[in-house]
Parts: sequence; structure tokens; C-alpha cells
Amino acid sequence: MIEFKDVSKTYPNGTKGLKHINLQIDQGEFVAIIGLSGAGKSTLIRTINRMIDITEGQLIVDGTDVMTLKGKDLRRFRRKIGMIFQSFNLVSRASVIKNVLSSNVPDMPWYKVFFGIYSQEQKIKALEALDKVNILDKAYHRCDELSGGQMQRVALARTLAQNPTIILADEPVASLDPIMADVVMSDFAKINKEMNISILLNIHHVDLALKYATRVIGVRAGEIVYDGPADKVTDAVLDQVYNGKAVPKSTDIVTEADAEEIAEVTENE
Amino acid sequence: MTELTVMEQLQAEPKNFWKRVLIFLVILALVVWGSGSIHYPGMTEKGIGIASGIVHGIFHPNKELLFDLGDSGVPFLVLQTIAIAVLGTIFGAILAVPFSFLASTNIVPKPVAYFFRALILMIRTIPSMIWALVWIRVTGPGAFCGVVTQSVCSIGMISKMYITAIEDLDTGILESLDAAGCNTFQKVRVGILPQLSASFISTAIYRFDINLKDATTLGIVGAGGIGSPLVQSITYGRWSNVGAFLLALIILVLIIEYASTKIRNRLARGKAN
Amino acid sequence: MSEAGRKLPLFDQIIKPEHIVLNNGHEIDRPRSRIPLIIACLVLVIWVSLRATGFNLATIISRAGQLKVILGQIFHPNFAYFPKVVSPLIDTIKMSIVGTVVGCVIGLPLSILASSNINSNHPVLLFIRFILSLMRSIPTLIYASILTLVFDLGTFAGTIAIAFFTIGIVAKMLYESIETIDMKPYEAMTSFGASTLQAFWTACMPQILPTYIDDCLYCFELNVRASTILGYVGAGGLGVLIRERTGLRAYSDLGMVLLTLFIVVFLIDLLNDYIRSKIS
Repeated sequence: MIEFKDVSKTYPNGTKGLKHINLQIDQGEFVAIIGLSGAGKSTLIRTINRMIDITEGQLIVDGTDVMTLKGKDLRRFRRKIGMIFQSFNLVSRASVIKNVLSSNVPDMPWYKVFFGIYSQEQKIKALEALDKVNILDKAYHRCDELSGGQMQRVALARTLAQNPTIILADEPVASLDPIMADVVMSDFAKINKEMNISILLNIHHVDLALKYATRVIGVRAGEIVYDGPADKVTDAVLDQVYNGKAVPKSTDIVTEADAEEIAEVTENE
Repeated sequence: MTELTVMEQLQAEPKNFWKRVLIFLVILALVVWGSGSIHYPGMTEKGIGIASGIVHGIFHPNKELLFDLGDSGVPFLVLQTIAIAVLGTIFGAILAVPFSFLASTNIVPKPVAYFFRALILMIRTIPSMIWALVWIRVTGPGAFCGVVTQSVCSIGMISKMYITAIEDLDTGILESLDAAGCNTFQKVRVGILPQLSASFISTAIYRFDINLKDATTLGIVGAGGIGSPLVQSITYGRWSNVGAFLLALIILVLIIEYASTKIRNRLARGKAN
Repeated sequence: MSEAGRKLPLFDQIIKPEHIVLNNGHEIDRPRSRIPLIIACLVLVIWVSLRATGFNLATIISRAGQLKVILGQIFHPNFAYFPKVVSPLIDTIKMSIVGTVVGCVIGLPLSILASSNINSNHPVLLFIRFILSLMRSIPTLIYASILTLVFDLGTFAGTIAIAFFTIGIVAKMLYESIETIDMKPYEAMTSFGASTLQAFWTACMPQILPTYIDDCLYCFELNVRASTILGYVGAGGLGVLIRERTGLRAYSDLGMVLLTLFIVVFLIDLLNDYIRSKIS
């Protein structure tokens, strides 16, 4: 369970990232956070595993007050929380399986890390994770040989191999084409259902958010303006979240970067 | 596509474990072999005294020497060291021009180019100290020997860089100049020189950096500069003098390295007038 | 149209740019050429340098015959001298190998501490960089001449001297490349609980490994050349022979030493090129 109690974040330059957030997310929820760029979606997600420190309030994750953690305890706490990034954040020169195996590194003795020695058991777990996201056959390819969608699934497998109770995803589908974005989102939904892992993700594609998430949180200027089930999100709600602007359908907000991705993917696949 | 199972993929893992072990063992073997004949002779009796003497000397340099404006004072020796590097670089950079054109395959026939390349390689391989030992018989000891040595040594590396620049020349521009009715001299002046000058100057500055460091040690064989009084002071254990010379040398090298990097970065980005 | 906000360079403040009015009425400022100033400075520098070094072209011309004699002997190497070259040559190679390996191994952690994207402790970073600059600024020969006094004459002093110098160069080249790597995988590793070192080793090391190996090989090439002359101050290897033979004016023996060196350096370069092609 994740609990925000009157949480605020002020950046050193004075920008307010979050303003008095109160929020409670139960185990096994699939939460999509929507809002304009710069509204504080990323900040909200990144405070949970303390990639960003909060400046006021209290944040409790599974009974632990996040801000009290230091050094080793913080690292042990982070083991239970997976994180997915917009740009995949894989070691592109290394093989797919090496990337998945790297999730074991924090628990390994230094000499095994030094020589990169992984046990049979860890390898099987990594391969199973790859199987779960349907790219088992790419296990020994180098990451830079894969398409964007495949790389995001490798990142997902890396997170699964870590046995998290929560997965945080910061714009996981923003650099994927609409078709791949849908596939990756359905992967998230599958994982959420089958393994009872809580999932929090930032997303710009409103229709994808409504299609897969069970709960939607709308953020505007660091404040929560909507919090409720996905099927209650109306045009009026979206209007409010996006500051009175007309709500674009996902098909209309294919950005330039997306268009490039589509061209690339259609070449690759 | 047939369904792969996890176990099948596990078996399919590329086995490069032993390859890595082998590489590691080869390096280990080389080091063991290498250190076989390198015995730790132990510190000499005076060893610790010497080590502490140097440290003490650096923090308490001979101030008289540091500000002595005469021929054996630090300022003059620093100036002389810089002068050796300046002249060595300028002469080397000029001498390298014919060499590099004669060794470029897009200017002269291949056999000629390869002959001059071998010559350049030879100049590069022989350490500058040895060149100095040869030249010293001609010029006698002193800074003059250092200049001549560096002029010759610099040819090797400078030519190598020049050649790359020459072989990258964009010859398309010559055609357009031909079309504009230019004669050969005009073509070289307008079409070729501007393409080469930036990389030539950059190379020369880089070489100056190297030559300066080199000039500090050429003195050991008697070729002038700050090196010979430094080594003499070390041998005779005059630690405050060693401190003064080392301090001057370190500051000199650091300043030149900083300046050379700055200038070359500016050249690479294009002159901001 | 002049850029009022921008400050003119000092040069253009002293020597005002030429003001041109074009036929169509447009006005531009053309900065005066700096070439005359540069040439004047260069001439002055060269004149001072010539004076400071006692340059004398006549000496070279009048004594060119001497050079011809020496070079003539060097180019007719005394092959009978070869057996005496082997043992110091092997010493030189051994010194370079051990010195390079030791230097490269010590240089790696130092370079990590000197990379601003890994080490966020600014004072430590600056301190390490300062030490590295110091280590690079002192030539190998000066290290060797001090170390031969501390550790006695021989290859040990030479090896340490090479290691010192290698640390400075390898660490500098390496931290420059570490600062250009992709830090996103590192961010991901820290997000799931890896410590700085674990994250660096797993996420960054694969990226810099090829550069690191390349830098090590480059240093090895440098060190083989550098270690040949270390013996001149008594630190073992070929330099001992070089000093002795030039002292005795036995230039055809020196020629043999140089020929062997030439071949060895050539072979090592070939080997390194082979290793490089294997890696990339």
C-alpha cells in the first residue's frame, strides 16, 4: 500500500513539483496518471522509490516511511519496487539476458558482480521473465539490435526478475508507436492481474489509460484534480485535467517522435 | 516459429566463460613472467631520506634559484625550455610539409609514398633521446642540440597527422576553381590551403605540447633546458634545488597543456572572430 | 546593423573594424585582419627563442659530415652484437608490461573517482584530478632518476616509474570517456537498489570496456618506447646499452640496438592492431 500524506515537493530552484498530495493506493491496483507535461506526473512517480526526495509531508510505502531510509535500507527498500523508463535504460552493448540478470546485482557478493557470474537459478528466472513478455527467442541478442517495443519488454522482464510488489513506469509507451504501445500496455495489464503487482504509470495516451487502467489520477500543476475509476472519466474530467483544453484522442496526438518510431518499426517488423 | 522453451534457451547460452578465463590467464601469465626478473631490491639505506628530502624540497624550494635572473636561474631555464620547444616545433612543422606531401598517396605514386612513409615511421620509432645523443656530436652540448633534435623528431608525428589531412582533401573544389579560370598557384592558395591550415596549426600546437614535455628531459643527455640541472640536483641530493626545478616544471607543463587544449578546441570549433 | 549588446573582443576595441557602406546602402563592420599581429608576435617569439638557445645554422652545415659518419654507422648495424641486445630488450619489454598493467589497474578506480557523473563529491573529484595532472606533468625519466636513488639501480625503479606515468595518462583518458557514456542504465540500476559501485560496474563498465582496452594498448605502445631510454638514468633495459655504446662511440652497435627496437615496436603495433580489430 502506498500512502501520500500531505506530500509537497519544492525543487531547489523554487519550482513546486507537488502541492499537498493526499493519496492512497492499495496493493494490486493499476493506476494511470494523466496530465500535461510538467504537471508533476514524473515527480509523483519518482518520489515513491525516492529517486526524488519529497520536501514536506509523509510518504509511506508498505508500512515504511520512505524519507527515513538511508543507504543500505533505501537500497533494500528499492528492491521491491520495479521501475520502467521512457527510454528503456538498458545497457545497449550488452546482451538481452545480461540486462535482465543485472536486476540480481544488488543481492550478489562483490566478486560475483565483478566477474558477472550468475547462478543457474538466476538464469532460469531471467529466461522465464523474458518468456512472460514473449521475447525469449531474443535472449542472446545484443540490446541495440532490438526495436523500441522489444527493448521496453526487455526492461519489463528485468523488472519482473526482481520480484517487485510495485512497478513504477515513467512514460513507458511515450517513445513507442501506437501498436507497440498497446502491446506493452496489455503486458502491464497481464502482469498486474496474474501477479497482483501494483502498477503506477504516467501516460499521455488517454485512450490507452482508460482501456487498461483500473484507476485514473489526473494531475494539474502539482495537484490532484481527478482520482477515480477509469470508467468514470468523462470529457468534462479530461477537460479539467488538461486545463480547459479540448481533449485530443490518442490517434491525434501522434507526435513527431512517434511518427519516426512508426516508420522505424514498420521497417523492422 | 516453433515455441522455444526456457530450458532450451538455457542450453543455447553462448559459452564464452572459458574464453574469458583464458584471456585473464594470459594477462596473468604475462605479468608473472614480467615481474619474474624485476626484484624488489629494497629501499636503499638513503632511500627514505631521499624520499622525504624531495617532499621537503618541493614545499621548501630554493627561493634564490627560483628568482635568479642569471643563466642558471629557474626563469632563464624555463624560457630556454620553451624556446627549444618553440623552435623545434616550428622547424619540425615546416620540414614536415614536403615529407607529408611526398608520402600522400593522392599526390605522388604509391612506391614513392611508401618509401617516405617508412622513413617517417623510422623517425617516429627512434626515441628523441637517441636523436639527441647523435646530434650532440654535431652541435655540441647545449640548447642548440635540443632544437635540432626536436626539429627532426617532430617530423615523424607531424607528418603522420598532415598526411591524414592531405588525404582527406576535398578535390571537388579544385574543379570549381578550374571552371572559374584559376591558375595552379591560385588553386593551391584558395582551394587547398584553407582546407589544410586549421588541421596543420592544430597539429603543430599539439606537437608543441609534446615537445615541451620532451624538452624538459632532453637536458639529461646534455641538450639544454631545465632537465640537466634538475637531474644533477637529484644526483647530488640538493633537495631544495630539486624542489625549485620540479615546481617550475610542473607549473610550466600544466599551463601549456591547459592552453594547448583550449586553443585546439577553439580551432576545432572554428575561429570565433 | 551592429550587435550593440555584445562586447567586442579586445583586439577590435583597440583597432576599430573598418566601416563599409555597400552600394545598396547596407552598412557592415569588417573586423581588421589579425594576421599582421600574429606574424609580429611569431617573429618576436622566434627571435627570443633563437637567442635563448644559441641557434647557429653554420655549425650544422660545417659539421654535417660528422652526422653523415654517425648515421652511416648506425645504418650498418653490427649484427654480431645482437646476442648482447636480447637480455636488456627482454628487460625493457617486461618493465613495460608490468608497468602498464599495474598503471592501468590502479588508473581505473582513480578515473571513476575523477568522473563528475559518477562521483558527486566535488572536493574529492578536484583533488583526484589535481593529483592526476601532477602525475602526468612529471616525465617518466625524472621519476626514474629519483626512483633509482630510492630503490637502487635496476628494473624495479623503471617499472614503478612507468606505472606512475601510466596511471596519470590512463585515468585522464578514461574519465574523459566515462563522462560521455549513457547514464540511463545506471539510473535504472540505482532505481532497483544497486549501490553506486554495483551500478557502475554492471551498467557503465560494458560501455567503457572497449575504450579502456584501447587506452591500455595505447599506453603499452608509449611505454615500450619510453622504457627503452629509462636505462639511461640507470633504470634497466635497453637504455643501459644505449648509454654505454654512445659513450664508446660504437655507433654500429647502437644501430643494432635501434634495429631490434624498431622491429619489436613494429611487431607490438601489429599485435595491438590485431587485438583492436578483434574487439570492435
